[in-house]
Amino acid sequence: MSLPESMSRIVIAGSLSHIDEAIDALYKTGAVHLIDHTVDADEGFTLGTPRPYSSKASERLLKIRSMEKELGLTKKTKTEPVPLEKIKSQISSESVELIEKEISSVLDKKNDLSQRITELNATKKSLELLSKLDIDLDLYSGYKSIFSAVGTVTADPAPGLAGICEVFSSGITKKEGGVVAVFARNEDKEKVLSALAECDFSEIPVPNETGSASAALAKTERELSAAAQDMEKVDGEIQALLEKHKDFLKASEEELSIEVEQGEIPVRIATSEHSFVMDGWVPSKTAEKVKIDIEAKVEGVYVEIQETRGRSMKEVEEAENRFKDVPTKFNNGRIVEEFQYPTKLMSVPKYQEIDPSILIAIFLPLFFGMMIGDVGYSIPFIILGAYGLKVTHHKDWRAIATVLFFGGIWAFIFGFFFYGECLGMHFVGEYTPGDVEYSWQYLLGLDNLPSFFEGILPGGHGVHKLGADWIGFQLKLSVYIGVCHLLLAYCCAVYNKTLQHGFVHAFKEKGGWVLSFIGMVLICYELAMLLIYGESFDSILIPMVIGAIILAAGVILNIPEDGMQAVLELPGIVGGVLSYTRIAAIGMSKAGMALAFNYICIGMIYGGLGEGILALIVAFALFAFLHLMIWTLGILSAGLHSLRLQFVELMVKFYEGGGTEFSPLKVKRVKTISDKDKA
Amino acid sequence: MAAAEAAGLIAVGAGLAVGLTGLGAGIAEGNVGAAAVGAITEDASLFGKAMIFMVLPETIVIFGLVISILAIFVM
Repeated sequence: MSLPESMSRIVIAGSLSHIDEAIDALYKTGAVHLIDHTVDADEGFTLGTPRPYSSKASERLLKIRSMEKELGLTKKTKTEPVPLEKIKSQISSESVELIEKEISSVLDKKNDLSQRITELNATKKSLELLSKLDIDLDLYSGYKSIFSAVGTVTADPAPGLAGICEVFSSGITKKEGGVVAVFARNEDKEKVLSALAECDFSEIPVPNETGSASAALAKTERELSAAAQDMEKVDGEIQALLEKHKDFLKASEEELSIEVEQGEIPVRIATSEHSFVMDGWVPSKTAEKVKIDIEAKVEGVYVEIQETRGRSMKEVEEAENRFKDVPTKFNNGRIVEEFQYPTKLMSVPKYQEIDPSILIAIFLPLFFGMMIGDVGYSIPFIILGAYGLKVTHHKDWRAIATVLFFGGIWAFIFGFFFYGECLGMHFVGEYTPGDVEYSWQYLLGLDNLPSFFEGILPGGHGVHKLGADWIGFQLKLSVYIGVCHLLLAYCCAVYNKTLQHGFVHAFKEKGGWVLSFIGMVLICYELAMLLIYGESFDSILIPMVIGAIILAAGVILNIPEDGMQAVLELPGIVGGVLSYTRIAAIGMSKAGMALAFNYICIGMIYGGLGEGILALIVAFALFAFLHLMIWTLGILSAGLHSLRLQFVELMVKFYEGGGTEFSPLKVKRVKTISDKDKA
Repeated sequence: MAAAEAAGLIAVGAGLAVGLTGLGAGIAEGNVGAAAVGAITEDASLFGKAMIFMVLPETIVIFGLVISILAIFVM
């Protein structure tokens, strides 16, 4: 069983004058999960203040990030790593400030330009409308006793304004409206405006130009294209700046964020006037090494291993509040590691319980493979999964690729050795005209297939997913798998509780459920024998009574802990076991689809033989498309349902979760190369 | 004739078993799913729990499927 790694608590104490080296050394070991100090936990100690260099660094980091945003430098932009020494000297020689000045001057230019372009565009829009009227622009203003208004309307206002004022209008249509200019005496202003308002008048600002509107429009357009050209130039400059500085920006962002993080460590630890104390969790097997490492690297610092935490809850209760929770460090090999993702999707395991990743790693691909169970579908799964594992680093995709790869391998094994199927057709099988089912033996005319598969496949031709003789077998098989899977889950629950509280407590809390489960399974088995297989009542009586006794014992054990739940949950046990029949059911549903599609397509192919090449191509394309559909559905249904069996049936029985993941102080450099890496 | 009738009735029963349980599961899952999506949007860490609640009603239709398979092939 895989438990999270054993953890030890260490205390690092030293004088404040060495705190920078101590923090640096901690980061270099990369194995210490810092415990946040709580105020008043130790007399004479308070939380520290950030290191002096931290505020300057965070100010610079802010500048760098805003520059990156302005220049359009994203996470995906590829940059070259820069040597650490170089970036450090650049940062300390005020490079950040110099580059900021350089970039901001160009950015200011860009802002001015874009503002100008907006203004010009607005003027252009007004002029376009004004040019519909044959009035010079300087004629719109400069009067003493009359006022003018020009704007767009949706209907012709002339009838309402007749006799009050002079109206000039472009051709006003009902659909698009038009432009109108009115000139009236000042005392008629209100009357005119209200008449205009009825026609949805909206005023156009008249640009400060002279001469005809169309001449002004041409001028504005010229200015606009000049501005656009300038803009292009500035964009080019920005692009050049981006190219020039991107390596520095990325590298310095990384370096500065590391500095900021390290500079703020004192806020999380206890400090007094002259000294500091840090508490942290370290994997037990490296604790001694970490102690020696830090003591050797930093003068005047003392490291002590305080305790190695066991799994018992008693130790948790006795511990001080801030030392109660131990971080969980997954303790898995390379393959199981990939299955930590579904575990984490639920929750991070607690320090005191089994990490279910290994169970998921075994059963998830197994169930997936069993549901697919087809050589033809398994090969693309294996290829796609292997390719995904090789190419992607994104954890979501990796998790999917892992399931596809290992699930594909199981699907191949089941397809080849158990079902004897490829693309929904059996390898072995006779065909008589009128049958709906084809076999590869018949299609390819390979009469030696039966002798090849003899001894490999059950019954010589494999389990027939839709054959009446085999359905009972498949259902029973999946129920038996369910019984084993669930029994394992109950055992894990007992094991967890034994770790946490000892066996007696575990037996009282979870043992009853193991017994109830076994009793219930026995009773149901005998009942099925009686009702479905028609065994005589006498032959099932004794096992049934034994089952009932075990069940009763389990329920009695459970009652003090769970009350009525102990009885009410019993049908849930049957439901849980029957839930595994989905393994068989999903396999059957896929086989059913494949059967129908093969019947259609192969019929078309045979029919198309005499019809020419085009009919054949259509038939083959349809064949490929339909099988691709089953294959895609396979990912969804088989993948999700096998995951569900892990989450809902398996993990709910024993898994509590809610732990914190072990996250040691560690520097991850991607964009900067430290001197050590180079050597 | 009677045998054919019985076979037909079994087929109808099997269809009803899958169809009605599917309907029930669909209604239940629709409600749960809507709430689950809402919850996940607020807090993505609820995915695990939401997924469990989401697939709980599905068991109903699996039972229906099992009953119909038993009806067709075993009875």
